[in-house]
Amino acid sequence: MPIPLEYTRRTLDEIRAGSPEHVEQLFADLRADFDAASSTVDSADAWKSFRDAWIGRKSGVLSAISDNWLKPAPPELKRVVGAALNQLRAHVEAVIEARRLEVEVSADQAAAVREHVDLSLPGVARSLGTRHLIRQTMDDFERIFLSLGYSVATGPEIETPYYNFEALNIPETHPARDTMDTFYLDLPPGALTQYLLRTHTSPVQVHTMESHPPPVRVIVPGKVYRRDNPDSTHSYMFHQVEGLAVDTDITFCEFKGTIEYFIREFFGPKVKTRFRPSYFPFTEPSAEVDASCIFCDGAGCRICKFSGWIEMFGSGMVDPAVYGFVNYDAKKLCGFAFGLGVDRFAMLKYGISDLQLLFQNDVRFLRQFP
Amino acid sequence: MKVLFHWLQEFVAVTASPQDVRSRLSLAGIAIDSLEESPAGPVLDADLTTNRGDCMSHYGIARELSALYRLPLKSIAPVILSEAKDPVSSVTRVEIECPDLCGRYTARVLRGVKVGPSPDWLKQRLEALGQPSINNVVDATNCVMLELGQPLHAFDLDTLAEKRIVVRRARPGEKITTLDNVERKLSKDMCMIADAARSVAVGGVMGGGESEISFFTTNVLLESAWFEPTSLRRTSKALGLRTEASTRYERGVDPEIADLASRRCCELILQLAGGELLGGVVDIYPAKAAPKKIEITRKELLRVMGSDVPDRDIEAILSALGFAPRRSDATPGAAGSLMAAWECTRPAWRRDVSREIDLIEEIARHHGFDKFPARMHPARQAAARLPLADAEDRLRERLVALGYQEIVSITLVDPTRDALFRAEGAAPAKLTNPLAEDASVLRSSGIVTMLQALEWNTNRGQRNLRLFEIGRAYTLRDGKPVETRILTLGAAGLAREKSIHEPAREFSFADLKGDLDCLGQLVGCFRWESGVPAWLHPAHSARLSLNGVILSEAKDLSSCAHGVAGQLTRRIAEKFKLRQDVFVAELPFDPLCAALEAARAKIRYAPIPRFPAVERDFSLVLADGVTFAQVSEKIRALAIPEIISIEPGDLFRGGAIPTGKYSLLVRVVFQSHDATLTEAQLTDFSARIISSLEKSLAAALRTA
Ligand SMILES: [Zn+2]
Repeated sequence: MPIPLEYTRRTLDEIRAGSPEHVEQLFADLRADFDAASSTVDSADAWKSFRDAWIGRKSGVLSAISDNWLKPAPPELKRVVGAALNQLRAHVEAVIEARRLEVEVSADQAAAVREHVDLSLPGVARSLGTRHLIRQTMDDFERIFLSLGYSVATGPEIETPYYNFEALNIPETHPARDTMDTFYLDLPPGALTQYLLRTHTSPVQVHTMESHPPPVRVIVPGKVYRRDNPDSTHSYMFHQVEGLAVDTDITFCEFKGTIEYFIREFFGPKVKTRFRPSYFPFTEPSAEVDASCIFCDGAGCRICKFSGWIEMFGSGMVDPAVYGFVNYDAKKLCGFAFGLGVDRFAMLKYGISDLQLLFQNDVRFLRQFP
Repeated sequence: MKVLFHWLQEFVAVTASPQDVRSRLSLAGIAIDSLEESPAGPVLDADLTTNRGDCMSHYGIARELSALYRLPLKSIAPVILSEAKDPVSSVTRVEIECPDLCGRYTARVLRGVKVGPSPDWLKQRLEALGQPSINNVVDATNCVMLELGQPLHAFDLDTLAEKRIVVRRARPGEKITTLDNVERKLSKDMCMIADAARSVAVGGVMGGGESEISFFTTNVLLESAWFEPTSLRRTSKALGLRTEASTRYERGVDPEIADLASRRCCELILQLAGGELLGGVVDIYPAKAAPKKIEITRKELLRVMGSDVPDRDIEAILSALGFAPRRSDATPGAAGSLMAAWECTRPAWRRDVSREIDLIEEIARHHGFDKFPARMHPARQAAARLPLADAEDRLRERLVALGYQEIVSITLVDPTRDALFRAEGAAPAKLTNPLAEDASVLRSSGIVTMLQALEWNTNRGQRNLRLFEIGRAYTLRDGKPVETRILTLGAAGLAREKSIHEPAREFSFADLKGDLDCLGQLVGCFRWESGVPAWLHPAHSARLSLNGVILSEAKDLSSCAHGVAGQLTRRIAEKFKLRQDVFVAELPFDPLCAALEAARAKIRYAPIPRFPAVERDFSLVLADGVTFAQVSEKIRALAIPEIISIEPGDLFRGGAIPTGKYSLLVRVVFQSHDATLTEAQLTDFSARIISSLEKSLAAALRTA
């Protein structure tokens, strides 16, 4: 914008404006010129030079008026010029600020059009890993039981028959051994102890009670092995979380309360629990725990064989015979134990129909559980 | 075991629906798997627990129903219409040579029977229960077994040498051809039913072909016996022969019922095949025992169950199940007394019950588990995770953040594959009884299972892989199993896939090193050294130690003893049909976790400098073989406290650089905690660095 209004560079005297009327007329013209110029401001650059032209500290019109008109004005005009200048300044500043906002908005709008991004395009991807579903499920179990005061224990996967069977009240002749087909370890000739791959995490019950006086509250996550041909529900190896609580004031009612709490925490508050009498050599009374079917809310469907219930795991009150193996006083102590099938819980919770999927480690499977 | 609803109703007058019966039984411990219709009416399939031999019959399950519905159980009273005057002892004799294996043997003889097909009602029943119909005599024995749970065996009396029975152990080298036409080798701990000359049946398991009932049989010897369950189970296992009879004996048959069942069977044979029964019975019963007494107290019931059961329910349940309870405390008249006690007499069919707790279970399951209220109990002790669990979480979290997916492998693997990565001198943990050769040894490292996972994925078009596993490796040391926790990493394909923003980039050894060093930040830094097992590429691989401390005491080069990381050799990759470059790493896990905890314990805040940092680049020409670590060490040796980092900026060979040398740009950052560094200071630092590198490493400063 050209420096406007050359006459503001001269004094009132030089432009022969001697009357208040004349001064007011000069200011009215200035205002009209300003308004006209302001309407042509259409960009950030134009706005900047417009601003500098009018209110720039060194060369702006208003500074010029102040320097050239006001300061040297004769006393009789000084008041008129001062008032008119203040009025004009207020108007100019308000309009320039308003124009700034308008110009910024229209600049943003222009940028939005010019720099338009297809929002359906992906961002820069970072590949993240995942925890395995078994780990996630075990962590869930651990969190629930830690909140109930259960510590975590661990033990060897390669066990002796004593810990896997005898000390759990399963003598060699017991028919229950048939239902737990067992892998045995090939040892060098002359080996004194036989070793097997534990068929359940229950041996750690015995290790725990051997090394800790009562009361005891533990869970034992770990791998277990069965000599079953692999199919959609069987695998050489799978995972259990064993639980054991022994104290002087635990009864069947506390057992039920604990298991019901766990099932609700894991599957949600709507899921109901049912206890069916069963038989395990190391618990008595023994119970199969059923959960109301999470697929049909207990109404009956193909997955629960139209019973409304799904068998979850075995459990029960610790058989007094087990206390005999660990020098616990069976007359004073009472407790319960349970063996959660981690794989089974995960399969039910996420609708996985084939156990093998958990161990094939296909990344297309792993990625589904971020 | 299958049972017919209508057959149960013959013993207990249940009016409830089969569905109701199914659910009540299931909730009392007799799990009914299915309920199906058959020409003989509804069939319930009971999945019995191994302790409940007494329920392997209609009568046994009817007894449970009588307790559940509080209905009377009808007694069994066979009516023999034609009993001859001649006593059975006049035609046959029984001798038990091994009373430890056979505790009771009863024999009855029927004369002049007419063997033929069974009537339709019987055929229908047997069929509905999955039993083939053979002939009326054999069907009668099976029918009574299904009814009362007592296995019976009918011999053609005229085929028995001297028409007598000897129960004895099998003789050395003895063989028998069983009814299924298989010749079986016997051993001396097997209980045989023999005549005067040879074995005619494997006691309690299966009869022999030569003495079986045929359509020409007229005289029948009916066996109703009791065999010791443990030895019978061994015999059945050794012969690989499980029959309806052996399954029942294994789980325990009522020795007392042998005679009643025999009479019931004779009643049926006479009815179906005619003939006459010789008088009396030959009954050898060495195992006869006095009934066992067991006491149950309310105190113990409350201590175990936590909630009371009324007297009348306790008494009704125990009575219906045959335990004949009798109040035995000081004030038997006091109902609901806390001191109440009952003396029970164990019926012979419940050999699984021998202790007070067993009776408590009987009461609880019939009273209903649902009647005991659910309660929570407060913990007395603080809960603790496993000692290294938090460290494990942090390492796992970091691996996930680095893009590695956690895998879980079946630890049983192929021995030849496993041997590729096994440390020299370590013995594999082999199975004696594997189900498959490729799963016959426990892995001695996680590499073998990691490569299997990579193989599985690449075979399915998944090429860009980053996997990790936290698990165990298994070996034998001095004949004892050793389980070592390990962390295994595996990677192949692209480190970065092509996108609209970035080009693709192959995963390289540097990626693996970078990822591991990210773990290293948590555990106090890894030291990378050469010297790796032969299955790793000699150049693109390294042995890892923690802060100069090796990760284990062991001196071997196995992955369990040290950390190893690198590219798999082509030769090994081929064995897993992996055509792309494969990178693996394995570290003993527990030392890593321990190092993480130690490193965390040492973390202290360092003040953030207030004065600006200044970078200086040194473009060096070095002889091949001089390492970055040497350069860095020499600079550090100047002990200039203002040096806060030394990083390599660029590296190249060729071009203007003579052969045998390479160019390395080293960027040194200076910063002071006290003041802004002056140009003079920086010039001095630079001069000292250059002079030191020139002198000690013969480095030349390259001018651009
Ligand atoms: Zn359902």
